Order: sequence, then structure tokens, then C-alpha cells
Amino acid sequence: MSGDRMFDDPMPDDPMEVPRATNGRAPDVFREGGWVPMREHSENEAVDFAIVGTGAGGGTLACKLAEAGFSVVAFDAGPYWRPLEDFASDETEQRKLFWTEDRLCDGDDPLKLGDNNSGRSVGGSTVHYAMVSLRFRPEWFQSRSKLGYGADWPIDWREMWRYYQEVERTLQISGPLSYPWGPKRPRYPRRPHELNAAALVLAKGAEALGIDWAPTPIATLSSPHGKAPPCVYRGFCTSGCSTNAKQSVLNTWLPRALAAGAEIRDLAMVGRIETDRAGLVTGVHYHRDGQWRFQRARNVVVAGYAIETPRLLLNSATDRFPDGLANSSGLVGSNLMVQLNQAVWGSMAEEVRSYKAPPSLALTEHWNYADDGKDFFGGYCYMSQGPLPIVWARTLAGSRGLWGEALMRQMERYNHQVGLKMVGECLPQERNRVTLADETDRYGLPVARVTYSYCDNDKRMMRHALGFMGQALEAAGATDLWEERDDTCHLNGTARMGSDPATSVVDADCRSWDIPNLWICDGSVFPTVGGVNPSLTIQAIACRTADRIQALAGRGAL
Amino acid sequence: MPDETMPDNTSGRYPGYDVLAKRNGPSWNDKTRAVIDRRLAIDPEDHRIFDDAAWRTLKAVCDRIVPQPPKRAAPIPVAALLDRRLQEDRRDGHRDVRLPPIAEAWRRGLAALDAECRRAHDRPFHDLGPDQQDALLRAMQEGRLDDPAWEGMPSRLFFASRLLPDILEAYYSHPTAWNEIGFGGPASPRGYVRMGFDRRDPWEASEAKPGREDVAWEENRRVR
Amino acid sequence: MDDMTRGAASVPARLDQRPTRPARGAAWAVAGLAALSAGAALALRRRARPQRRLEGPPPVTLRVAKDLNRSAALLGLAALADSAVEHYRGSFHNPAMVTPLAVSTAVIGVSLFGTLDDRPRAHAVRDAAYGGAILTGAVGTGFHLFNVTKRPGGLSWLNLFYGAPIGAPSAVALAGLLGFFAERVRHTRPGEAPAKAPKVLGVPAADALAALVSLGILGTVAETALLHFRGAFHDPAMYLPMVVPPVGAALLAGTVLSGNGRPAMASTRAARWGLRATAALGFVGVGFHAFGVHRNMGGWRNWSQNILNGPPLPAPPSYTALALAGLATLSLEEDRRHAR
Repeated sequence: MSGDRMFDDPMPDDPMEVPRATNGRAPDVFREGGWVPMREHSENEAVDFAIVGTGAGGGTLACKLAEAGFSVVAFDAGPYWRPLEDFASDETEQRKLFWTEDRLCDGDDPLKLGDNNSGRSVGGSTVHYAMVSLRFRPEWFQSRSKLGYGADWPIDWREMWRYYQEVERTLQISGPLSYPWGPKRPRYPRRPHELNAAALVLAKGAEALGIDWAPTPIATLSSPHGKAPPCVYRGFCTSGCSTNAKQSVLNTWLPRALAAGAEIRDLAMVGRIETDRAGLVTGVHYHRDGQWRFQRARNVVVAGYAIETPRLLLNSATDRFPDGLANSSGLVGSNLMVQLNQAVWGSMAEEVRSYKAPPSLALTEHWNYADDGKDFFGGYCYMSQGPLPIVWARTLAGSRGLWGEALMRQMERYNHQVGLKMVGECLPQERNRVTLADETDRYGLPVARVTYSYCDNDKRMMRHALGFMGQALEAAGATDLWEERDDTCHLNGTARMGSDPATSVVDADCRSWDIPNLWICDGSVFPTVGGVNPSLTIQAIACRTADRIQALAGRGAL
Repeated sequence: MPDETMPDNTSGRYPGYDVLAKRNGPSWNDKTRAVIDRRLAIDPEDHRIFDDAAWRTLKAVCDRIVPQPPKRAAPIPVAALLDRRLQEDRRDGHRDVRLPPIAEAWRRGLAALDAECRRAHDRPFHDLGPDQQDALLRAMQEGRLDDPAWEGMPSRLFFASRLLPDILEAYYSHPTAWNEIGFGGPASPRGYVRMGFDRRDPWEASEAKPGREDVAWEENRRVR
Repeated sequence: MDDMTRGAASVPARLDQRPTRPARGAAWAVAGLAALSAGAALALRRRARPQRRLEGPPPVTLRVAKDLNRSAALLGLAALADSAVEHYRGSFHNPAMVTPLAVSTAVIGVSLFGTLDDRPRAHAVRDAAYGGAILTGAVGTGFHLFNVTKRPGGLSWLNLFYGAPIGAPSAVALAGLLGFFAERVRHTRPGEAPAKAPKVLGVPAADALAALVSLGILGTVAETALLHFRGAFHDPAMYLPMVVPPVGAALLAGTVLSGNGRPAMASTRAARWGLRATAALGFVGVGFHAFGVHRNMGGWRNWSQNILNGPPLPAPPSYTALALAGLATLSLEEDRRHAR
């Protein structure tokens, strides 16, 4: 139910109520009220690929497959926005970009979902991501054999390096001319952005402690590109970019996908994947415009991210697959990995005004690449921050238990606060998992139950990072330091890839071991998460999957 | 509390700063104007989710969690903003299994708070003095409330996951709160130019430095 | 609140800078100086006029000197506009940031005076202003270099992109140098006929000027290259200043500095066209930059941001100014060849 209806007449073009991508056209994200032509596919004729989800995995794959000549229909539960006309500069309003329907959380450390890890939009959570675009450290693709923890990926890092470059070019990443960590990489397509004061604090702290730092490689333009203007440093990045400077799936891969003949169905919630007696998938049941419908497909790709993907697979159980699809290993839903998102905050004598510019303009990956002196496995990076008022108030209150006059006095110092926040690698654990709850959502589908507990390694990394970030912040001149200990970000791992059907859900090509025409292509397939934001890697995996599908089709192995 | 610790628009850290002065300038786009206009039009007494008893309790709770300067001409309608949110069923995307859905959690939590009050003081929450109210809220924050009216919902969890964040979200969604903390507010198509330490664009709030409040006032009046 | 305010009070004066006050002060200073120079130019011109009738047609040196005055004025104007915009962006946080505005205004004033002055004499006021500009450019470069190196990361690409632009103060110095040359070319000792091949500091003026203008153009190209690289050369037109001005500079240098060769009409003509193209590029560049402002979010409606963050409108005319000086140099060179 949308409450707006109780007060206003529904807007004639309310993208949250009425699908936009219909009648042979889809919204033109670059023009207010604009449209672009869209090829439509019949529900009764099987398309080559039905893709569930249009985020970093599904949107990218839809583009690449359509450009390779396959017929593609991509579904998304969320609206099809035109950022220029639909996005307000307002934290509250822009919560419409998040997946805000209930998911039940338990475990020792129940997760907070929605804001910084789940989107409900065409373009997925890249519509509100912080745009941080980092490559994995090469060893992480073999963390079990090379570093002694987690699980190996069935993909070689050198291959990934090529796909990273493809994604970086598509997103026109702005980044430093030379990157201090890891093997040499090609120059980023765009130059780095000017640092804001919050980023300068990170730089000062790193220099004082003698470690490297860099301007963050980031997917917002530092100079015009196509129809998109450069960033105006408005600082509402995680509430959606109203200028198109942010290079999201919505305004990069999807316009290309449409031009190549893909169809995108917005406000289309896929509730079940249909299978036949031969054990192959035949299409998807989806809810759109008030009714359940069915799209036939020769292949189905699930790309709903690490909660909705296992939820859909589990909700599609049949007599033949009583534990859900692709689940002979019993691993669908398990090994859920978040990333540690703890922070240290402090106060500067100078005005910082971190609400200006993208939140994370500077970072250090030092502890992703340095292994000595660690009492934990894995790595972490940390970045500068720029919380807007509501997030900031909730952080202050949540971490320090402040309210009343004490809180108001702290809030007054908003323009002087500064923080460093980690993105840290959590280890995969089978007990951390997505299952189905008894409660159902508005479509009558069982909602996800998300169980999460940190392991000792996670806690040791947290301690190390908090200590180090505290030193860095202090060295940069901040005072009155305090720690935010309970935040996490990103979701990965609930349908891991591997080279053994007994210990993984999909193979290196993102094809499920159990059902040859069922694929999974999103953060769910990560065997490990590494200490960097995952969006670049998800898109790189999608590009690789598209190439592999093309190769398999070429030799009749699809 | 003396007034000077609680700024309103004429004193405090950002004297004379009014983010709404930018409403018709390049910092606001049409969508933002529509959204904020609708928020500002909310009747402070409008409540459809909460019954009158719960409403009185809620308003008293809000006054303690986000106290506002007594001389503020138009206080932020925190309780009405929250009621509106529940009317629109805007959820979080996550819910601790020990909590019921948002509206039910609020109804149950406020009823339980009132029940605790009547048991301890024989009066409803909104009739208590500020110190007694604060003591009860602190007891809730520390999980020391366990009247049967909670129906198994941990009071500490309700405080940390519902009461505090929801009230703060309502309060800091309001332009008056942005004025108070010197936030630039809406920013599209115009964002910001000056990024470094101690740099402000002419369309940002100017902070009052000791002895130079008049300068800040003057600069804030020119914000457009 | 208390500890905060105490904290703020103990921070150096930097915190207490009020951006708008110095900005307004600067505006007044510049306006005042401009009025003063214009007045002085008029007054001096009136005194200068009677002499004119006593002499024959103006010698080439005087014409070239006036051309150089014009170039200096235009370059001063570009430097004035550029430093005004950039230092406004920097909130005039250091009072010294007013200096280039005042100095380039003075350069404009005395240069206009020079274009109206028919006497074959250097003038102390002009020399003083031009000398001041050279000094300001040198000191400014030092300031900017210091600003860049003191940032985290030191002399890095990031700081070259976004720190105080190291090349910018040179524009003020170049304007001063052009003016200084104008005075030397113009100057004739009382009673002597205008020199056929004037010298500057012992070097033939044409050679020295050709070197100065060519180097000036190349320096400006370097700065443009840095900033267009920052913009990722997102528009192919951004390569134009990488090509046209260097060609103009090379042709100029080649023609004038090729030594004692015979008059090479072809190379002079080529140099002239190269410099004309460079001069035109200065105007075209303003057009491109205006389009760039329009292309940023909010376009011209968002001028208060996009004038500052978009491509700099006053930058390209530097090429026009330098190319005009180059053309004047060619006149001097032709005169020298006639004399041989």
C-alpha cells in the first residue's frame, strides 16, 4: 500500500504505481519526460534469457547478452526512474530507492538491511551506491590456497583484470593516475576528483602514520561524458544522483541494453521459476500491473542479490527439487557474507562540512595488501565519510546512546565532524544464511529470514581496524573520538561459485550445477568478499559470464 | 535549559540561516520543492495511526528525545511526521525477529510505556515531569522495563531500533532541523564548489565565531 | 558549545577569515585602480598630444610598441578576469590574493595609456607597472608552488590539478614582460632617430620578443594541457590548443630566430597565418568554454557554480594576446630585414 494515495490523487506518471516500460518504449533516463524505443517480446514465445533483477549483475548481463544477439527480457521489482525528474534532494523521500519491505533478521548480530545494501529500482542498488569502484586483490581469488582462509574462486585473477578494465571503461571511473596497491592497472578513464575536507583528513592521517592513500576510484564523472554532466558535489550520492553524473547500471548498461533490443519490465516482481519434468527451467512467474503473469524462457538468470536470489530459488521448490532450485549441495542461502562497516568518528576545530561531494573521495587499501602484524585473516580498506543529517543523527544516537539535550548539543557540531569507515572482509560461514520465514509479503510470498553472527576473525579484524583508524584520525588532528561498532555493508555469497558441485551452487560461468539452463549472476556467487566494495567485481563477473555464454552457445553447449 | 544552548533561527550557531531561502534558487529542483512543500504542510496535530492516548504519550516522548527551543515559532511536528510515515507504511527493510511490524511495535511500545508509568507513578507519561519522563526513557533504553504490556517485546530493543531512530528520522527530515545544524539542505542542480577546510560557498550556512555573530548573521541573510 | 568556541578561538586567524569582506574590498580596489589608470591615461595623453604634429609618420618601432601595449592590455585583462574568478573561488582567504587583481588592472591601465601615447619615450609609470607585474608573477608562482606542495600528497597530479595553478601567475608576469618590451622598443634617446633594429638588454628586440612570445605560448599550452588532461580531453576540440598555438609559436621562432638568413617571405607569411589562427583560437576557445558551462548540470542557470567549476571563460584569450604580440614581432622582423 502506498500512503501517498491516501492524500493525493495518484500522479498520472507515478513510476512506483504504474509500469513505465510498456508499449514499445522505456524511459529515457537523460531527459525529463523522455522515452526511448524498446523492443517487446511475447510471453508465449520463449526468449533466450529471462533475467531476474537489473542491478550490477542482471543489468550488466542483460546489456552484454543483448549486444551478443540473444533475445533478453529483464525483470525488476522496482520502478524505472528518470533521475532528473524523480529524484529529490531529500534523505527521507529517497528511501524509495531502498528495498524497504520487511526481512526478518536474527542471529547473534542481526543485520540492518535496506539503506546501504539493497535497492529496489531498475538499476538495482547501483542507483544509490557510493560509487566506490575497486578491484579485488589478486590473491583473494585463491584465498584458500594462497592466504589460508575462505574458499578459492574458480576464476583466475588475470582474466578478471581484463573484465575489470571493461567495466571501468563503461563506468568512466575517475581515479588516480597511479594506484599505490596491487599489480599495475591501466589508467582510469577519468581524472580523480578534488578532495573535500573529509578526504583530506584521511590523507593527513595516512601520511602521519606512513601508509599510502589515494583518491578513491569512483563512478561519478569528473568531466562530461555523452549526455551526462560532471559531478556537482551535491553529496546526496547514497540517496540517488539527480544529475546523472553517477554512472550507475541505470544510465550506463541499460540504455545500451535497450538499444541492443533487450526488454526491461519494471514493477515486475518475479515470484517463482517454473521447471518442467525434465528438470529444466521453462520461464518465470511474475507479478505486474495487478496480476500474475508468465514469461517463457529458454534460460533463466537469477540476479536478485544475496537475499532475493536465494529467496526466489527456495520459493521455487517443487516435488523434484524439494529444497529449492539449484540446491543439491544444500548451500543455497548459506555463506551469506556482509562486510564490516565500522567507523571511528571525531571532531575537527576547522569546519569540514562533509555533506559536500561524494562521501568517500579518499581511501587507503593498505591493510588489504599488507599482511604482517595481522592477527586475523582477510583485509580491509577504509574511506572518508559524508553522512547526511538523518544518517548522522541515527549513527550518533545508535553508537553513543545519546538523546535529549546531550544529542542536540552533539548534532550542533555536525559541520565539524569527521570519520573514517572500513569495508572489511567477513569470512564465509555456513551458519550465516538466508532462509524462508513464515511471514509473507504483499504478493503472498514467504519473506526472507536473515541470520547473521560475526565469527572471532571478524571481531579481531574489527578491533584492528578501529584501533588503526582511531590513530589515523587522531594524527590528522581530530579530537573527541568515538567508535561506531555495529554497522555492516554489502551482501554476498548465498549461491557461491566453485569447481565442485558438492561445495558450490554454480560453476565459474555462473551456471547452476543442477539445472543447466538456470544461471545466477550477482553478488551471491562470491565465494569470498574481499575488503573492497563489490559492485565492480559483480559487473566484471557479469561481463565474463556473457562472454562465456556466447562461447558455450557458439559450440552448441547452451 | 537556558536558551543559548538551544538555538533557533535568530541565535545559536548559525544565526539567521534559513535553508528555505534557497527554495526558489538553483539549489532546489521541482521534485524537491514538491516533497518539502508536502512535508511542511503537515498539520502538527494530525494523527491517524495513533489513538489520542498514544498520541499524547508520543508527543511527550518526542519532546524529551528531541527537545526544541521554547521560543521556536513553529516547532517541528515530530509526532505528526512519524504518524504520516506509519500511514504511508514506510518500512526499514529489516526487522529484528523479536519486533512486530513497525506500526504494531509503536502502538505496543507506547501503550507499554504508559502502563509502566501508571504502575510507577499512577499517572500517564505525558503528565510526568521531565525528570521522571527521562528516568523512564532511560530505563527503557537500558532494558529495565518489563511490564506484561510489552508482550515479550524487549524494551531495550524497541528503544534502540524503533523509538530513537524513528524519532530522529522524523526530526531531521525537517528544514528547521537543518538550519539548527548548518546543513546545506537540498542541492540540485546546484551543488557545491568550495571543498576544503573552513571553506563555505555563499549559499551555505555561516557559522557564528565568537564575537563575530553579526558577520554570520549578515552572511546567512544573503544565502539564496 | 563552550569548549567548541574556545577551540575555534585558539585556531589561527585563518578560521576567522570572512570571505565576502575581502572580496568586496578587492572589487573596490580594482574598480578604484581601473578608474585611476583610465584617468591617468587620459591626462597623460592630453599632455602627450602636441608633440605629435612636430614629427613625420610614426616609425615602425612606435607602432610595434603600441601593438605590444595592446597585447599586454589583453593579457592583463585575461589575467585579471582569471585571478578574480579563481581567487573568489578561493574566498580570498589570504589577503595577498588581491594583489594580481590590482596589478593586472594597473597593467591594463598603463597599457591603454601606452596605446594613446605617441612619444617615442619609455614612461616611468608604465615601467613601474610592468615591473610590478613581472615581480607579482614571480612571487605568485612561489605562493602557488608552496600551496601545492604543502597539501597532502605534495607535488602530485592531484595537487597540480586542484591546488593553486602553478602556471597561472606567469600570465601576469608575461603581461608585464610584453609591456617592458614595448617600452624598450619604443624608447629613443632624445635627439636620435628611432633605431632600425632596437635592442633589449643587448639582444635584438625581434629575437628577444620572438623567444618570449614562443616560450609564453608554450607555457600556456602546458597549462592548458594539464587542465584539458584533467578534463580527460572529453571533447576532441580540447586538442586544438595542443596543436595550433605550438605551430604558431614554432613558425614565429623559426622565422625570426633562423639567424642571418635572407628575408624569407614564405616563412613570414606562414608565421603570420599561424599566429592569426592562434589569435582566433583564443576567441573560439571562449565560445567552447561558454558551451562547457552550459553543458554542466544546471547550465547557465546554475552560473554561481558552473562559472567556477566549469571550463574557465577568461583562459583562452591569453592565446590571442600572445599571438598579437607575435604578429607585432613579425612587423619588427620585417622592418629589420628591410634595413639590411
